[in-house]
Amino acid sequence: MIEAAFFALLVIGMVGAGAGVVLLNRITGAALLMAFTFLCNAGMFLLLGAETIAMFQVLIYVGAITVLILYGVMFTPQRDRPYALFFQKQTPLAALFVAPIAIAVAVFSFSFRDSTAGPKGADLAPLATSVFRDFAFPFEVASVLLLAAMVGAIVLVKREDE
Amino acid sequence: MVPGPFGLDPVLWAVLRLVIAVALAAGLVFNGALAQIYLERKIQAIIQDRTGPMHTGPYGLLQTFADAIKLLGKEDIRARLTDHWFFLAAPAIVFAPMLASYVVIPFAPGVMGADLNVGLLYLTTLGSMTVLGIVIAGWASNNKYSLIGGLRSAGQLISYEVPQIVSLVTVVLVVGSLSMTAIVGSQPGLQVNALIIPLAFVTYFIAGLAETNRVPFDLPEAESELVAGFLTEYSGMRWGLFFVAEYGEVTVVSSIIATLWFGGWHGPFTDVHPLLGPALGVLWFTLKTYFFVLVFMWIRATLPRFRIDQLMSFCWKFLIPVTLVNLLVTAILVLAFPTSLVPVAIANWILLFVFAASIPFLQRRRLVSLRARLAAREHAVA
Repeated sequence: MIEAAFFALLVIGMVGAGAGVVLLNRITGAALLMAFTFLCNAGMFLLLGAETIAMFQVLIYVGAITVLILYGVMFTPQRDRPYALFFQKQTPLAALFVAPIAIAVAVFSFSFRDSTAGPKGADLAPLATSVFRDFAFPFEVASVLLLAAMVGAIVLVKREDE
Repeated sequence: MVPGPFGLDPVLWAVLRLVIAVALAAGLVFNGALAQIYLERKIQAIIQDRTGPMHTGPYGLLQTFADAIKLLGKEDIRARLTDHWFFLAAPAIVFAPMLASYVVIPFAPGVMGADLNVGLLYLTTLGSMTVLGIVIAGWASNNKYSLIGGLRSAGQLISYEVPQIVSLVTVVLVVGSLSMTAIVGSQPGLQVNALIIPLAFVTYFIAGLAETNRVPFDLPEAESELVAGFLTEYSGMRWGLFFVAEYGEVTVVSSIIATLWFGGWHGPFTDVHPLLGPALGVLWFTLKTYFFVLVFMWIRATLPRFRIDQLMSFCWKFLIPVTLVNLLVTAILVLAFPTSLVPVAIANWILLFVFAASIPFLQRRRLVSLRARLAAREHAVA
């Protein structure tokens, strides 16, 4: 009962904040609402018993990525727009492309019937084995990719000394 | 559902328990902040050969209360061009995660909000959320100095999170658990983690200083260069909330140190009596925590502030490599000797001495390269 109530709250928060990210006129407000969406997402993980993943969600997405986005926003010149991004002439075209994906996702997500909630807080060991044993190679490749991207970014913006 | 006392309805009791717990934590935070501001003034006064607050109450004990009442009574000022909602939200975003950290702090056996099995991860997560509030405070103030303070804070806190978390991971490797109770339980008697992994303690302590914006890492709120940085446009109790959050954060970091490296509630006479024991546990834990709070204040009265480039290069070129080497060595030794912690301890002490001894050499090399660069620049100008 309580879990259902929390789930409803989280869903309302997530969908509302997600709509706000798209519809809001102010880009900093959108960034903050995005952080809120991530927080609600972490709440969903908690309800599913995946405490570790919830913590990492907050640690990485709220604590680091949102801050970096805000950082980027602050260095971008901003002007007040008379309308939000939603009402533009690209809207029908975008809807045309998104609709098939959205319908497929909706059908897929409504096809679940069983409760997937695991025992509370038992996801640390499975997470570790899947990252460091079963998917160790993709994990390492991803980190090499990130390293290459980081080195590339540093080389691109490095100032020439003399 | 836990059945309540006096035949109370479980649902009602759950809500009531939450209210009591939040009120207790808030009381602890606010009273702790008052006590720490008094301690900070007195300790700085002693170190600077002054008397500190003396006139309000005996030994000036009521001075911080008077200041708090003054702050509460102040007019709520908000400059016209600030960003209304963000300006209001920023102190709350800084304060709320700090308050939530008190859930997992183990005061004594049985005296803690919740024994999460990812307790340590929970604490680091909440610590990382403070950055968001500070960046927003800097941006919403619509003030150049505040913005610089906010951006410095973003850079500093995200950088120092890396050595902080790696140091914590080293402890987790040795103990084998993320739960705060299990970490305390693994250090009975004198077998504290500070003797086994001292290097992780030193690196965590430095990173913790930076995470709480304390001197010598207080660049985001540097009074003399940024007119208090992200705090410039704040006044009254909003400003007070930022300060209470900072002192609360210092307490959280100190209690993490006390729990992870100094045995938490362990101390003499904790198992003499079923009721007296936990009370003594709370006492030992508080004494250990406040010892590190005092060290933070001692450092504030002693060291000058870093420059921003020194801050960054210290983190990325010294602290992170040291913590990574420490993590690697500890991981190898824990895998190689699963039954004994003696090799880990020996390796850690050796590493600590090597790194401490290398500091003068690194400093000399840095100075030489700095002078060479300055000479080259002067040559180019001439």
